[in-house]
Amino acid sequence: MDTTLPHQFIELSIHSLKQAPDHAIQLNQQDIQQFDSLDIHDETLKLKLQPLPLIASRQEKIVAAVDTSTMKIGETSRGIMIAVRGATVWKQNKRYRYVRFGPFIFHVTEENKKQVYETLERTYFSSANEHGHQGAPSILQMPTRIASLLERWLQTMAAKTINNGLILFDGSLTAGTAETPTRRMKEILYSARKGDNVVLAFSKMTNLRANGHRITELLPDHKPPFLLETEGLRLKPPMVLLGEVYVARLTKGNLAFRLDIDRDVLPEPRIEAVERLLGNDLFAESYPETLRLAHILCTFTANEVLAMQHFVTRRFGLQFVNKPDMHRLLFGVFGKGEGYQ
Amino acid sequence: MKLYRKEGNILQILSFPGETVEKGDYLLVEDADAGRALIAQVIDVQFASIPGVLEELLRSLPDGGELIKGEDVDPLEIAPHISYIQDASLLICKIRATAENDGLNPSTSWLPSRSQSTIKKLPLPTLLKLAKIDGKLPIVIGGTKDSSLLTIDATSLDGRLNIITGKKETGKSHLSKLLMVNLVGYKATVVVFDLNGEYLSLGLTGDGKRNANYDKIHVLTPSQNFKLALKQLNLHVMLGILIHALHLPGTSAREFRRIWIALKEKDSLTLHELGETIRNWNCNQHVRDALFSRYHALVNSGVFTDNIAEATSLEEFLLKTREQGGAIIMNLRNTSSIDRQIVVEYILGKLVECLSSSKLKAVFLFAEEAHLYLRETYWDDIVTRMRHFGIFTTFVTNQPDTIRENIYRQADNIFLFNFTNEHDLDVVSRAARVDAETVRSIARDLPPHYCLALGRAVRDFPIVARVKALDVKTMGETRLFFASSVGQ
Repeated sequence: MDTTLPHQFIELSIHSLKQAPDHAIQLNQQDIQQFDSLDIHDETLKLKLQPLPLIASRQEKIVAAVDTSTMKIGETSRGIMIAVRGATVWKQNKRYRYVRFGPFIFHVTEENKKQVYETLERTYFSSANEHGHQGAPSILQMPTRIASLLERWLQTMAAKTINNGLILFDGSLTAGTAETPTRRMKEILYSARKGDNVVLAFSKMTNLRANGHRITELLPDHKPPFLLETEGLRLKPPMVLLGEVYVARLTKGNLAFRLDIDRDVLPEPRIEAVERLLGNDLFAESYPETLRLAHILCTFTANEVLAMQHFVTRRFGLQFVNKPDMHRLLFGVFGKGEGYQ
Repeated sequence: MKLYRKEGNILQILSFPGETVEKGDYLLVEDADAGRALIAQVIDVQFASIPGVLEELLRSLPDGGELIKGEDVDPLEIAPHISYIQDASLLICKIRATAENDGLNPSTSWLPSRSQSTIKKLPLPTLLKLAKIDGKLPIVIGGTKDSSLLTIDATSLDGRLNIITGKKETGKSHLSKLLMVNLVGYKATVVVFDLNGEYLSLGLTGDGKRNANYDKIHVLTPSQNFKLALKQLNLHVMLGILIHALHLPGTSAREFRRIWIALKEKDSLTLHELGETIRNWNCNQHVRDALFSRYHALVNSGVFTDNIAEATSLEEFLLKTREQGGAIIMNLRNTSSIDRQIVVEYILGKLVECLSSSKLKAVFLFAEEAHLYLRETYWDDIVTRMRHFGIFTTFVTNQPDTIRENIYRQADNIFLFNFTNEHDLDVVSRAARVDAETVRSIARDLPPHYCLALGRAVRDFPIVARVKALDVKTMGETRLFFASSVGQ
């Protein structure tokens, strides 16, 4: 394969960056917003098609949700400029409240990535994780890793401060990955249980399949709300599943979600937790409003990206320059832009 | 401020919070390398189209439309930057001229550098100086937004057609009084068709004392201190009254001409004799009836008299104003529509007569709501033929659609007060010296007593000014039913 031309473009790009080493280059919206957890394809997974019907319980409970978002807002000749933000939203006395943290902006380079990551870990958790010996993540992994750190910290705070509530996470309760160390997730779930809370994790997307079909697409003809149980899900070590996996179809409509509920909560209270969630939160397309708001509040808008670039320009004297879109340059109208890679 | 886009003679400029720019302000877009600058006027201020603003607004509203409450922990203080971007505005500006080599030219054909140009507000005093809007015979219209005075030259009204228009109670008559008083001050002859008796006390100060113009203001009220003897009238003036004001048919007009000539030959041109002659004139009965009905209209108007002693010589009043200037106010208040037309026909005829015989140099005519007394054919006459005789008209109206389009096209100066009605704005924007966007955008937002001056008087740089107060006794106020009870 002749790679001369792309290489030449890259070389040209690198050369131009070297000419202006202090300039940041704006990316064409190559954002990494709202990362999703890694799902593992497991051939032993079975989905019980007998639904567990749910009845909304109006007994009042606090519903809290945590979510984070990260975005690459620019690239320098030595690294990347990333922004991270997290939000905790809770519903109490029929009103939603939120605390939003950030945006935090980091300039991550090869030279400082280890220091940045470890300092953040120590700042948030007073200790390095069990994967620390593997060294700092690559620059490309840094945005999600830093956002994960913030998310785990927010989850820890929610688990420690809320009592007798329902805590909603975005994603799954899979642990043992670099982003979600097992010990840390176990600590979070332990703290939550200690305060009589139940943790429920909603995955917007899942790749879990049973009999070759995505589990959220195998829905019985039953009136919602209901849950479907799964069994036989095995993960490759060191990954562990700290939640019991269900498929939740909570309202009318075509959507259903993978729902992980803390495995150390007994089966009956797990179902009760979902019923209380139904009675205490609003739902649109089977997705809880509290979690939706957490997601919305931490997502970066284009306006905010501009504002952060403005901040960096004003505070640090960096200038943003539009980076040429290689796809457009090479393929003209057939190049769909870098966002479509 | 940053230059964003140029399309034709429209500039779009990004403005950020802290840069307070409003509609009507002038900006100087200076390209130092090119050695020239664009002078542009802000005609609209819009929100800049910032990506993500909609999402930003939407996410603050949960279901139910109530604002979600919360706390933002923002250690880097990014929020002010978000507001800064969100509150950026887009200034839509109209390019008025190019400043180059200490002079101005109307060219808009060049493009200033987007990255290198500097944009700053152009203070109005600087603009007025650059555009040389001053002159030897200054008339101070009022104060501009940045506290400078808008001064026009009286010569910019000389030989020109002017229009003062705006909604009711926005200050039109006030401005026309201001122009009139200043013209009188410069020894000009002014004639006013005063429909509502608003100009009657121009010779008095606000507290009722005589002012400097007292002796120069002559108020004439038809059938009171303005009466005419038939002998003072030329036949063509009288025929003008009969045909145009009283709609006398052509055949009857021919008979009237014979009667008039016969009476004149006998030196017995009186109302009484005219009546008797019509009665005994050998003519068709229908013609006699037609003549009689017009005769009675003339008699009933109260404008005509056989008593020479009480007859008014308009010519004398006009000649009085020739040396030291003065204003003849024709008080048409409480005058019927037909009588108004009779008086206006007579005055316009007399003015043309005096001007064509060079007894007068020129006359500034102020016509309030002219559609109520000006016959159709006079509109064109006033802007073409009469202008050449030296009648320079200023139309004052709150119904811009009553002035014909060709008048707008030929107007040299327009003083525009607030209008909100689209139709009214459309009509005014037909004026040749005005661009429709400016009129629509600025006039709509003018507060009362603020006028947008357009045209020759401001060298085609539209300028907004608050019309200055005039120390004259206020007249023509609307009589109110609840006025006394509200005051109690």
